[in-house]
Amino acid sequence: MELLAHGVGSRTDLPIPLGLALYGAGAAILLSFVVLLLFWRQPKLDRPSSGLPVPAAMQRLLDSTAVRRGLQAAALAVTVLLTAVAVAGPAETARNLAPWVLYVTFWVGLVPASLLLGPVWRVINPLRLVHRGLRVVLPAAPGAGRLPELGLWPATASLLVFLWLELVYPDRAEPSTVAVFLIGYAVVHVGLALWFGEDWFAAGDGFEVYSTVIARLSPWGRRDDGRLVLRNPLVNATLAPVDRGLAAVVVVLLGSTAFDGLSRTVFWQTGPGAANDSLSGTVGLLVMIGVVAGLYVLGARLSGRLAGQPEGIQPRRYAGTVIPIALGYTVAHYFSLFLLDGQTTWILASNPFGLVAVDLFGTYGNVVDLTAVGSDAIALVQVGAIVTGHVVGVTLAHERALLSARRARASDQLPLVIVMVLFTVGGLGLLFGF
Amino acid sequence: MTVRPSRFPAALGLALAVALTGCAGTAAPDEVGSSSSAAASTSAAASASTAAATPAGQRIEVQVSGGGASGDTGRVPVAVGEHVTLVITSDAADEVHVHGYDLEAELSPGQPAELAFDATIRGVFEVELHEAGTLLLSLQVG
Repeated sequence: MELLAHGVGSRTDLPIPLGLALYGAGAAILLSFVVLLLFWRQPKLDRPSSGLPVPAAMQRLLDSTAVRRGLQAAALAVTVLLTAVAVAGPAETARNLAPWVLYVTFWVGLVPASLLLGPVWRVINPLRLVHRGLRVVLPAAPGAGRLPELGLWPATASLLVFLWLELVYPDRAEPSTVAVFLIGYAVVHVGLALWFGEDWFAAGDGFEVYSTVIARLSPWGRRDDGRLVLRNPLVNATLAPVDRGLAAVVVVLLGSTAFDGLSRTVFWQTGPGAANDSLSGTVGLLVMIGVVAGLYVLGARLSGRLAGQPEGIQPRRYAGTVIPIALGYTVAHYFSLFLLDGQTTWILASNPFGLVAVDLFGTYGNVVDLTAVGSDAIALVQVGAIVTGHVVGVTLAHERALLSARRARASDQLPLVIVMVLFTVGGLGLLFGF
Repeated sequence: MTVRPSRFPAALGLALAVALTGCAGTAAPDEVGSSSSAAASTSAAASASTAAATPAGQRIEVQVSGGGASGDTGRVPVAVGEHVTLVITSDAADEVHVHGYDLEAELSPGQPAELAFDATIRGVFEVELHEAGTLLLSLQVG
């Protein structure tokens, strides 16, 4: 089965109606000025001591090593099973569970999971358990001292590899490709963790960093006294550390989703991407990431220059404010995939190895219902996600500017806001199909 | 049959007009599905015609030779509920697959193969050759 733009799937969304695209763009521009001119003039979200603490017993349970090891062991068991299915299950993608779990249920599902529950993959990352087991035999981590200076750049590379596989590599959905990827990913990252120490996973494991980055917008946070609290996601996003390389992670996520959108347009399919091969896909992916990176760095630096801030720090300082925009893009592009083609996971999970007369959950005979979500609803969610991401991004950038300089002028923020508007209008344009 | 009010003004002048004329009479609105220009109209008119069988429907023809596709390729708009007849003629044996609707037909060299179905699921669906992996066209239903 040949596959569509995003890893696996049987359909893509209809172009959004022009009117809806224009309303969305207008709303984004208007709301940007509302945020700049009418929102608070003093930093408001920088409150490390805020939040509603969860009961102490619950925190002890969630933070306990035993619980985390147990969850990691469960995730490891699922991963091993999935790898076995990829190796020994049905050869056809349409009947093999592994590609659907990797590209739809796991990769797309990581977004709502992290948004609602916090950095879930950091808690249940099965590779951490494997690493811990091997460290008993190989205790030294010779490279541990070098890790901090790398920041999140290793995760940027890790994500880029996965995104290239998902969006460009023609045989991405073959079960054998998924098997090689899963085994390769485990070997590479456990190996690097043995060299750099367990902190590698927080800096270099693309999936874990993706989950952590999205979890900045979740309601779960740590108060300054260590208590696990529920609080305003915007406070969490504002307090999250300004990691080195975060801008690169965000730009790669945004640029790759933009490329996914581009690759679904008639323009791409009949123009630059007509060959539908690795070369055109690779160039397209890198160009889109490059465009996003160029615009972002330009906007952040110009805003810094107007505000009299050192320009070099600006892209890193504001990187967290672009996360909601990237998240909006992701929801817009993948939520229908998750709800529609994602049904395949639950059908195939009933008989992972495609054996005769096996039907664990009684769902194996089901057929994916591609009408479960209407196209009007999909269009509204798409535009709503893009515009919401934009407004949250502009709000966070506004707060960030006030934190950098207490008397920051609204006009100083204009270049970055204009870039954000470009991202949003561009995102809507891709959904419209130009 | 009910006609929902149009939500998005820009594309819907035509849709509304078609829907109103379709519902004004007692006969089924057979004009809705008969030409590809009507396919550009969206929700109201299209879903109104879902129940009505349209004998003519839309005929989409693609020829494959030397690994390349010609004819009705690219993005082909189809109204929801329209009866679609896909006719594929290939110079090599292969299998044609309509994604989403999950329809398949064997292709023998030189023999036109026909796939006929009602386009009831909205979305964009690729039609491709299994063996060669060639993308023939994308059906845009909606």
